[in-house]
Amino acid sequence: MLDLLAQTGLNAVYAASYISLIAVGLVLIFGVMGVINFAHGELYMAGAYTVVLLYTDFAVPFFVAVAAGLIFVGCLGLAMERALFRPLRDNPLGGLVASIGFLMILQALAVLGFGVRMEHIPPVTQSVIEFSDHVRLPVARLYVIVAAVVLLTALWVFLKKTRFGWALRAAAQDPEAAALQGISISQTARIAMFIGAGLAGIAGALTAPLVSVNPHMGHSVIVTAFIVIIVGGVGSLEGAVVASVAYALVHTFVTTFYDGVIADIVGLSLMLLVLIIKPTGLFGSADRA
Amino acid sequence: MTQFLEVDNLIMRFGGLTAVDGLSFKLDHGEIHGLIGPNGAGKTTTFNMISGFYKPSGGQVRLRGESISGLRMHEVARRGVVRTFQHSTLFAEMTVMDNALVGTHMPFRPNIFAAIIGWDKDDREGARARAREALEFFGLDHLRDELAGELSHGHQRALGMAVAYASHPDVMLLDEPFTGMNPEETRRMMDLMRRLRDDGITILIVEHDMQAIMGLCDNITCMSFGKFLAEGNPAEIRNHPAVIEAYLGGARHVA
Amino acid sequence: MRNLAIFVLGAAALLALPHGLSFSQQEILVFLTLNILLVSSYRLLTLTGEWSLAHVVIMGVGAYASALYTKELGVWVPVSILLGGATAALLAVLLSFPLFRMKGFYFLIGSFAAGEIIRLLWKRFRDPFGGAKGIKGIDPMPDFSIGIYDFDFFEPVSYYYLSGAVVAVCLWILWRIERSPVGLTFHAVHWQDRLAEASGVNLRAYRTLAFSIASGFAGIAGALMAHYVGTINPNSFDVDLMVFVLTWAIVGGTATFYGPILGCVVLTVLNEIVLREMGFEQMRPLIYGLIMILSILFLPKGLESLVQKFAGKRPGKSDTPERSTAQ
Repeated sequence: MLDLLAQTGLNAVYAASYISLIAVGLVLIFGVMGVINFAHGELYMAGAYTVVLLYTDFAVPFFVAVAAGLIFVGCLGLAMERALFRPLRDNPLGGLVASIGFLMILQALAVLGFGVRMEHIPPVTQSVIEFSDHVRLPVARLYVIVAAVVLLTALWVFLKKTRFGWALRAAAQDPEAAALQGISISQTARIAMFIGAGLAGIAGALTAPLVSVNPHMGHSVIVTAFIVIIVGGVGSLEGAVVASVAYALVHTFVTTFYDGVIADIVGLSLMLLVLIIKPTGLFGSADRA
Repeated sequence: MTQFLEVDNLIMRFGGLTAVDGLSFKLDHGEIHGLIGPNGAGKTTTFNMISGFYKPSGGQVRLRGESISGLRMHEVARRGVVRTFQHSTLFAEMTVMDNALVGTHMPFRPNIFAAIIGWDKDDREGARARAREALEFFGLDHLRDELAGELSHGHQRALGMAVAYASHPDVMLLDEPFTGMNPEETRRMMDLMRRLRDDGITILIVEHDMQAIMGLCDNITCMSFGKFLAEGNPAEIRNHPAVIEAYLGGARHVA
Repeated sequence: MRNLAIFVLGAAALLALPHGLSFSQQEILVFLTLNILLVSSYRLLTLTGEWSLAHVVIMGVGAYASALYTKELGVWVPVSILLGGATAALLAVLLSFPLFRMKGFYFLIGSFAAGEIIRLLWKRFRDPFGGAKGIKGIDPMPDFSIGIYDFDFFEPVSYYYLSGAVVAVCLWILWRIERSPVGLTFHAVHWQDRLAEASGVNLRAYRTLAFSIASGFAGIAGALMAHYVGTINPNSFDVDLMVFVLTWAIVGGTATFYGPILGCVVLTVLNEIVLREMGFEQMRPLIYGLIMILSILFLPKGLESLVQKFAGKRPGKSDTPERSTAQ
């Protein structure tokens, strides 16, 4: 029993890692741009396919492929900012629709380029850390956990200690006041989009060997990310991380002891409950909706 | 005898701040009553509590002896206490006539089934007649097909009053009705308010324009820092030492 | 007189329409008819300024309810379709208690969560919902003859006539509601809820009213679909279809009654007929997504704004208040 708890806990830490990478990116984009990026799950998918293309098909070293995924998807984010969100700055509903359109395009491109079938990716490493007979952590999962901790810490330092980070936070809190203080809204928007999309891309790239990579893999991820950012409070990065951990724990344990569908129901119910009781989320204060 | 509208020991706290602190005053039926005080005295907060927009932290508002504090805004409105808003709070995207028609919501309550079948002709005509009447009263009838958002500032203020008037209110709470009006418009609006009073509508008014307040009100309550300061007719208030002190003190702070 | 002529011509064209189409196009026509009701009912909710992401799931509630009423209780299909709509409306009243504690963005996300929970409940509980495989062998509409025409409801043409008649009645009701004082109150709630409340409007009641009427008609559309297709499952009502409803409404424009219908017809014809005929089978989502983006970028007020331009109608002077897609 103790083993089972420990193993489930490890699974939860892994889940929390990639969920928080995705959710933090989504929050960052929402905070600065004021738009819900429905295509965020497809950015994650694009990161996974970068690995399929480079690592599986062209035998590029895995970590090079992952880095390429981060940069490529970050650039996709820049393209979205320029082509969609900047022209639709005053039209949040329009931004939402445009991001749905972008989602369909990315999905269609994945289908055209790779087919609808699940991709088989050769494992990066077979090694497993064994804590005991029944408690084991595949090293491939450890990569995801380490990457999440390192990247999110780096992001935190970037936001708290640098001038860009300060501008980003100011723009998220009050775009007009920030503009008056000489902060370039377009520049902060570009930075936020690159980082936000890049985080989704690296999450997809790192988990590609561990999940089923297919053109529709973004869907379940985006639902999870929505739950997490609502529970954590829209606009709160720390809240998104804490909520990711909480959600991963609840979801993993309920999945282990009941089943996946019940776990999904519990997750959505938690989100609804938070919305009813404290719509700004458990950590949220910024309300830009 | 019970007072028509009675504010009794009303308290409003926001966090640690007490915006209104034990305020009491009374309105007689058919009077124009002014509520004045320096900036930040809590006038608008008091207004919001009477109209049901805020729930008071303590105390009561009584209409004809019945407590209305803590009711929601539409419930207060249905008891005959209708308010206007500061600034030009209107249905800016709708026509002037449609604005006034929303005002007739209470006397001519829409019925969805009658509306589908077409059995509400009398009600619809009644509502239109009442809306026209309210617009005519405030001199807006010729603008009824314009969009409310495209009206001049003075006309927008008048439309806000017309929407409230269209509902046959017993009490009108007017929040700074003269803001943005030129002297001529202000004078005309004051005449209209006197006519409303003569029709039996009780008016409570918050306003910065001292000249208008003094010329219009039968009685005035002055408050400062959330507390009751003085009450009386315009002449008494004008010469009340505490009122003068509050305004001069306030002015010094502002300067 | 002129209006009558237009009406007669229009009705005749709609009656003749399926006979010029191939079988698969006739099937699409049936779905198009139902989707018009779906998107028009959605617009009624947007009149109050709220955008829901549960509308398609609520359509599914109508479908599941009607299917189960016929299967388990032996209710006659036409009656059970109406009961399906009523069930959806009733559920909307229940959902309104948690959901209308929220507004705007939070309502959008909250309605999404509520919808997904309902869908997962269908998936989880095989009794009575059939689990992930859903319900199969749903009773079809009983055939009947009106002398000059024999209705065989496995034929798309027959079902098109039936659903067309039902949808026409529903649209008429929606139109009457919008043009009534109730519709005016919906607009008032949207544009300035505080002033509406100060005028004695019970905001919660009116939001719930709009939500339940919209849901009721969506439920009827779902029930009609269930008895045509014969099989439903949780994925028939997933977020993909909801995305289509959203885009029909936004690309068409929601300022007018006909805007969402226009969006639905144009995009469906484009997606199902033009792109298919041109042999873009695989590329369809790509082109569709591109069209969505281009139309939101270059036609932010929707297709209806084009119509108004050509009809020479000055926006804002129509009887219904204008609204843009921007919130």
